[in-house]
Order: sequence, then structure tokens, then C-alpha cells
Amino acid sequence: MLELIDITKKYKQTKAVKNMNMYIEKGEIVGLLGPNGAGKSTAISILSSLLEPTSGDVKFENKSMIKNPKSLRQIVGIVPQEIALYEDLSAEENMKFFGRIYRLKGKTLKNKISEVLEQIGLTDRRKDIVKTFSGGMKRRLNIGVAMLHDPEILIMDEPTVGIDPQSRNYILQTVKRLNKDRQMTVLYTSHYMEEVEYLCDRIYIMDKGNLIASGTKDEIKQILASENTISLKADHWNERFITNLRENPQIHQMKVDGNEIVLVVSKDVNIFSKLAHLAEEANVQLRAVDVKQVTLEDVFLHLTGRALRD
Amino acid sequence: MRGILLAKFTTFIRKPWVFVLFTVMSIGFTLIIGYTEGNEDKITVPVAGAEEVRTGSIGKALEENEVYHFKWQEETDLKEIVRLGEAEAGIIIEETGYEMFIRVETPNVQLIEQTIANIYTEKIRENQVLELFQSETAAEEEAILTAYHESMDQPIFEITNDNFRNADSSQFDEGLHAIFGFTLFFVIYTIGYNVLPILIEKKEGIWDRMILSPLKKWEIYLANLVYSFFEGYLQIIIIFSVFHYLVGVDFQGGFAGILLIMLAYTFTIVSLGIFVTALVKNIQQFNAVLPILSVSMAMIGGAFWPLEIVQSDILLALAKLNPLTYGMEALNNLVLYNLPFEEILMPVSILILMGVIFMGVGIHLMEKIHI
Repeated sequence: MLELIDITKKYKQTKAVKNMNMYIEKGEIVGLLGPNGAGKSTAISILSSLLEPTSGDVKFENKSMIKNPKSLRQIVGIVPQEIALYEDLSAEENMKFFGRIYRLKGKTLKNKISEVLEQIGLTDRRKDIVKTFSGGMKRRLNIGVAMLHDPEILIMDEPTVGIDPQSRNYILQTVKRLNKDRQMTVLYTSHYMEEVEYLCDRIYIMDKGNLIASGTKDEIKQILASENTISLKADHWNERFITNLRENPQIHQMKVDGNEIVLVVSKDVNIFSKLAHLAEEANVQLRAVDVKQVTLEDVFLHLTGRALRD
Repeated sequence: MRGILLAKFTTFIRKPWVFVLFTVMSIGFTLIIGYTEGNEDKITVPVAGAEEVRTGSIGKALEENEVYHFKWQEETDLKEIVRLGEAEAGIIIEETGYEMFIRVETPNVQLIEQTIANIYTEKIRENQVLELFQSETAAEEEAILTAYHESMDQPIFEITNDNFRNADSSQFDEGLHAIFGFTLFFVIYTIGYNVLPILIEKKEGIWDRMILSPLKKWEIYLANLVYSFFEGYLQIIIIFSVFHYLVGVDFQGGFAGILLIMLAYTFTIVSLGIFVTALVKNIQQFNAVLPILSVSMAMIGGAFWPLEIVQSDILLALAKLNPLTYGMEALNNLVLYNLPFEEILMPVSILILMGVIFMGVGIHLMEKIHI
């Protein structure tokens, strides 16, 4: 088991991570969710021993890794947020380079490269220079080079940023497959809720350096068990209707997103007749009123008062 | 470490353009500034005179002068050249005397006048000798003058005049200065842009991947330093070889010595590159700092002009902190002044000391600041 115990990281006066506690069990896919600047990258840098915390401890198999991270480094593969590849080398040359630094050589290295290229779907492009690749292909190769030395734990820092949906699905499926076939433990950071919901067994949610929620998907959604999320749809809204909703004490959270308004209200309050009345009063023609399934986005909205991608 | 070097060399082979550009620029600028017409060691002095004067003994003496290049002009052109300040002095030559035009009184003007006066004195002396021997035929005159010149070539004592740009002087050689200056200047860019990838690799996470691998940190640094050193030193070898073997520049037997001195200079510039890389926060800052640093180093360190003409105490004090100053000094001591080994060892030792300090502080800062 890999643990972060009461970790704090300070940069001058700014605390990037504040008293964070977290653990990852063998074979799990754990999600670390939060908006940009939440402290996710700092947390995973500490977890992978690249960064020393200001206070707290990182433990692997109950041994502190702060001063002697060698045993942890041997079993970790890291996929940075940036494309950490040599753009002027081919896919195969990059693989050779990163394989060699892990002391792989000869036939072992050659076989491993073929195996990984197959897994990330780049066998046909192995001889091509990386700078000719699409964003999605570079991202796949970025993951591939982290898998060459058969790491037990794969730490992925927003591996799908800026790529097309097709490549994104491919990456998500690859991560799932690695976890299933090889029992690889994965720490996956993202600010895309749906990715984390799809992939992860357990989730940690961070905001402004704080861990604000953790647990399984269902456990986290239970935070909103006593509340309903209601979606209102109309062709257009007017200021009066929005002000009325904002001023209504029974509405805990509200988010206007184009033609849709999402409200979080107490479950024990029947607000539907009130909504109809407010709409009529403000001369707004409601087209649909739905009670939504709780999503992680709703939980984040509830916990922080803002949408995840704000 | 071998893996890092291999990746770097492969990248170099695929993308050698920065290296090629700075090597070509270094050679090109040196050729233009140090080896084009108009940059001779002799000072050009415009002279005017009638056809019989030009072809006579005075004209011949002017042409054979080793110190000045006397260039025949029309009288009006000569006056214009002097008026515009394109020449320090101009002289109208006649059989029995000369008229000198000067714009500003300089030490060279006095030397030019002395040279002209000597030519006329010599002419008078030859006439006196001929009168003394009362020669009757041209053959007799020639024989007498030959004997006279032979005796003058072996004088009891000799007085010579010189100027600061004389080829015989070892104080300053425009061609050699251009080679040294531009090589030392442009190699700062080549090395700088080779150290820059450390910053890029740190920012893009390649460095993180290497740190998590079984590679030792010193191996990562050493591989990067060796590669930057190699490329910088290769450029220096190419430039000096081009001038030595293709252009035919005489380094006065100091070619191997130059390459040895350049080992220390290259090491110091690699270290300076590491130091600068550690100080800047991003690639944009590095790209802004490098040209400012290299040009000011070249100006203060005497790459573009000899430090001997600099009067400012502040600039001369700043030059003492500049590695390029010591690179130039070591090369000049070796090639121009032919000074003994100890005189070359001094600037080389300062270069190595600077290199060690820059490297130590640079790596310490790099480790301290998480980029």
C-alpha cells in the first residue's frame, strides 16, 4: 500500500497541498479529481518521490520514502501532463532511450518495445518521428514509455488533456485493460468527471490544496443523498426568474448553463409547484423539469460552490 | 548515461541547424571583418603628384614603403578624402618638395611626415653621393648607388620607426583578433542552446522520468554537460581548422596550444550556461538573457575590439569578471605575443576556476529550485 500521511507542501507563502491524507491499495484505480491549480500535480510529485513535502510522510509498504525512495521508484511509472518525449526521435528510438535508462537491453528491450507498441496501438508508426504524430498518438506514446519497465504503479497526470474523443476513449480503455490484465495499480488525475467516474474504484477530490472528499463513487455521491438535483430547461431565461431562484432559501446551489439551469434542493422539500409559480410570474416558458441522477460534478458544485472547470 | 548521449547525438544529427548556423556565422563574420580588402595592416595615405614624380625615385620609394600604403589619387580627390576624415593625412608630392594636408594632428601624422621627410632626405643624399663621385654615365650612377645602398644596409647603428598597425608589430592583428573574438563569441550561443534542453526536459517531464529511473543524478548532469561540451568544442575545432588549413592563417605554431586553451574556455562557457539555466524561470527568459549576456560579454571582454583601447575603469573592472576576457588573453598571449607558458597558464587557471564556481553554484540552484 502507498500512503500520503498528513502531507503539506509550501512554496514561499503559498500552500499547494494542505494536510493531505491518501492511500492506494494494490490493483486499484484511484482518481484524483480537481480543477486546474487544485494541487493534484504537486500531490502526485510528492507521491512519486519527485518532490519532498514540507511536512508529512510518504509510506510504501509501511516504510518512509522521503529520504530513501529507491524501492518506490523501481515500481513506479509516471505519465507526466506534458509530452515527455524527444520529438526529433522516432517512437521506437524514444522507447529504446527510456528502456535503456531502466537498464533494459538486447532482446528483452526489443520484445518489450514491440509489446508496448502493440498495447498502445502504434506498431505501424514505430519508425516515424514523434513530431509528425497527432496529439492523441503522442499521448499514447507518453503512456507507453512509462510502461516499459513493467511498473506496479502507474501515475498518470491528466493524460487526456487536449486530445480528440477517439484517442481519449482509446487511452481510457488502455488504462482499464492494464488494470484488468496486469493488475496494475493506477493513480489517475483529471479534471474530467466522466473519465474518473468511468475508470476509478475510489476517488479523491481536491480543491485549493485541500482534500474535500474521498471514497468510492457511490460514497461520494451519498454526500448529496439528502438533496435532489433538478434540471430546468427553457428557450431563454430572464433576469427576474434567475434572481427569484437565487433568492429562494430552499435552493442550496444553482448553476446556469445556457438553456439549462441546475438546482440542488433538499429532498424533503416539494419545490416543483414553487418553480412553476416562479416561472409563470417571470413569464418564462419551462420546456422540461427533471430530477437528475447525482454526478460527481454535482458533488463538486455542492462542496465548492462552483463548477469543476471554472 | 550512454543512452542519454546516444539520444542527444541522434537529435544533433537530425537537427544540426543551430550548430551549422553559428559555425558559419563565426567563419563568415571573421572573413568579412578580418580578411577583406581595406583591413590591411598598413595605414593608407593618399598622395598626388605629376607622372614623372610617380615613376621617379620618390614614387618608387613611396611604393616600397613597408609602414604605409601610399595610394596615388588626383589632387582634388586627395583633398576631399582628408576633408571627410577618411585619411589622417594627404600629401602632394613634387620633385623638389612636398605639401601635406592634415585634418587632425595625430601621432600617425607625425610619423607619416617623418617618413616623407626621410624619403626626401634619402633622395638628397643620393644626389650628393652622385655629385661627389662625379659620375658620367647611367651605368656608373647605378653602380655607385648600389654600392651606397649596400653600405647603408649594414649600418653601424640603426633607428626604426613603427606604428601601432604595422604588420611587423605583434601588438594587434586584425585577422587573428577577428578569429579569436568571433569564435569565442558565437560558441556562447552554440553551447547556450545546448544547455537549454535541460530546462526544456525539466519542464516537459523527461527529467522526472530520468530521475525516477535507476540512473544516478550525476550521470544525467554529466551526460548533458559532456554533450554540450562536445558540440561547443567541435565548433571551435572546425572554425580554427578552416582558418588554419583552408584560409592559411598562420597561428605562429600555436594551433595545438589554441585547442588546449579552448578546452578550458569551453568548459567555462558550459558551466556559465548551467548557471544561467538555473537562474531563469522559463525558456522565454533564457532566450532573452542569452543574447544580452553573450553580446555584453563579447563587448566587455574584447572580442570585437582590443581591450587596450578601452579607457573606462568600470568597463575594465567588469572585464576582469568575464570569462571571454581570459579566453582572449590566453589566445593573444600564445599567438600574438609568444609569451612563456606561465603567462598562458594564468588566464587558463582563472577560466577553470570560473568554470568550477559557475558549475557548482548552477547545479546547486537547479537542484534547489523546482522548475
